[in-house]
Amino acid sequence: MKIILIGLNHRSAPLEVRERLAVDDVVPPLRKLLASDEIDEAVLISTCNRVEVVALTRSVEAARFRLRSFFSRDLDGGSPDDGSRLDDHLYEYNDVEAMRHVLRVSSALDSMVVGEAQILGQMKDAYRAAVECNASGPILNRLFQHAFTTAKRVRSETRIAERPVSVARVAVDLARQIFEDFVDKRAVLIGAGEMIEAALSALRSAGIESVAVANRTPERAAELAVRFEATAHGLDELPRLLSEADVVLSCIGGDRPILTCELIEAALRRRQHRPIFLIDIGVPRNAEPEVGALDNVFLYDIDDLSAVSDQNAEQRRRESVRAEAVVAEEQQRFDGWFTALRAVPTIKHLRSRVEEIRRSEVDKALAKLEMSESEREQVESLTRSIVNKILHAPLSRLRREAEREEGMAYLETARVLFGLDDEPEAPSASRTAASDDPENE
Amino acid sequence: MVSQLHQLTAAIYLIAAIVASVGLALPAPRLARFSLLLLGAGAVAHGFCFGAMHVDGATPALTELPVAVSFMAWIGAIFYLVLAQRARLVSLVVLVAPMAFVSVFVAGLRLPDPSAIEAASTPGGSWEHAHVLLASSGLALLGISGVAGMFYLIEHRRLKSKRRIGPRFRLPSLEALDRLNSIALAIGFPLLTLGVVTGMFWVEKTHGRVWDGSPHEVWSAIAWLVYAVVVTLRFAHGQGARQAAVSAVCGFVFLFFAVIGLEFFA
Repeated sequence: MKIILIGLNHRSAPLEVRERLAVDDVVPPLRKLLASDEIDEAVLISTCNRVEVVALTRSVEAARFRLRSFFSRDLDGGSPDDGSRLDDHLYEYNDVEAMRHVLRVSSALDSMVVGEAQILGQMKDAYRAAVECNASGPILNRLFQHAFTTAKRVRSETRIAERPVSVARVAVDLARQIFEDFVDKRAVLIGAGEMIEAALSALRSAGIESVAVANRTPERAAELAVRFEATAHGLDELPRLLSEADVVLSCIGGDRPILTCELIEAALRRRQHRPIFLIDIGVPRNAEPEVGALDNVFLYDIDDLSAVSDQNAEQRRRESVRAEAVVAEEQQRFDGWFTALRAVPTIKHLRSRVEEIRRSEVDKALAKLEMSESEREQVESLTRSIVNKILHAPLSRLRREAEREEGMAYLETARVLFGLDDEPEAPSASRTAASDDPENE
Repeated sequence: MVSQLHQLTAAIYLIAAIVASVGLALPAPRLARFSLLLLGAGAVAHGFCFGAMHVDGATPALTELPVAVSFMAWIGAIFYLVLAQRARLVSLVVLVAPMAFVSVFVAGLRLPDPSAIEAASTPGGSWEHAHVLLASSGLALLGISGVAGMFYLIEHRRLKSKRRIGPRFRLPSLEALDRLNSIALAIGFPLLTLGVVTGMFWVEKTHGRVWDGSPHEVWSAIAWLVYAVVVTLRFAHGQGARQAAVSAVCGFVFLFFAVIGLEFFA
């Protein structure tokens, strides 16, 4: 059995291609995929940054053909080509490389933002969906469980996810150094662009409940406000809003700063000099530089936040080296288990062959002897015990050797010595592999 | 027995301080919560220590400076433990635990024999003990207020200068420090006031007049006036958090030298 992975991600395909292929519900396409003989097990991962299928197959060539047509026909749905062939965006990994890729994806080492937490949840959802529609069998079950364990190890043994890297998250992290919690805090966001949207999302997930959006065109602010359950205001309400605001984030166009010293001083007086955390990510700047010198005002601009973000990204890059080592270790462990599966048919065949011989010899002997029921049982037990003891050492050795690349020679020798190839082989691995798991025997 | 319990208390406070510091450095909020439990265990041991003093010497010798310092540490720890969850100040354990340890350790170096104190003590009656109890409690809380103010100023400066704003060098938030400063001041000042009043009754009982003009009385009265100004500025004039922190630090430095320093040098 072979593992094959085919897919595309943020590095291999542009957003419009990823958008075209992404699916909300992975179950129908998975069912379609499993209907084909070439695929024994499959898991489909579909996020905004990647669409990948991990599959188990007996024939890599046939599976490759089927999976590529699955991407172009079933997922792409015959959409008009954008000039580049879909095939150009697809990558393929086999066996060891495929295992490694799955472990790297779950550990967020292959993500756009290295160390992000979302991908693990998305992989768990994809795996759960595959289990529910019986698309994932013993081998992919094991691979995904192993991937989740690896991700957990990476997060606990490295500092890869410790520091935020997006400007909005860095701002929230800084706010935590000023405010103990956000339960009773109020945020005012000035502007209604993408940065404000990202900041709104970050503030909401940090737990801040009271948010006001102020913009030159209140209609645009209202759109955002509806989506994030905030209140919308015009810029004329700024003096009042600022006096109530603990966190102010501004990103609005204009020739002159709208957050003047006078305005902030008045707000401070009205709020009895309680601290204001002011994040100015507008270019040109929205706050007069002198505002930063006021007592109880903490002013940070885009350069300050970018510097922290860069430091954090650098830390993540350094930590990713350690994370790769964890992944390599876990991949080796899984590979050992997966390789050892090839010993299963030989071991099963050998056991059944020896059992057949024992059975027939015992039957012959018992037919000649007159024995009570308990004496017969003793003979059965005795012969079974002898067979098990004789087989124990060679089978253990076979299992051990099967985990190594050179182990194939041992398996072939065993088949020749015991004449296993002279008879039809016992049913092979895959879906029965869980019960034949070499570690379980 | 008292000495062993005192050493045990210092050891528990020290462990709490180490665990809290490690929790801050990692950062690991769970360790901060665990150190809170350790601080609680230390406070319980500390309580047993004062209980043992009571058994050995009829009443704890609070008029002795080392015992009073140890008592202040105990009151400070209990005050903080009561506030920690309610006022969302768990992260401040990293300040309180080391303060408690240092106070108990220093006091332990000169801890007197309780039975000897009992024999030599002056006849001050219940006013004497009420004065020391209330004044020590007030000092403990104003001490916490001063230290919170000091850390507020350090953290404020760091955030203003935008240096080392990554998560590695992280003290408790400015809000937590300011809240602790404010609550400790609000409770500490009335206790100090009651301490001054009961002190006057004690003087009246032993010397026959309310005011005898001793340096201790004069400096305590000035310190009380200083704190009266600090409290008025903070609560009546809506002083900003940074100025309040400066006032708390200045107030405590003055009070420390006026009361403890004077006792020590005398």
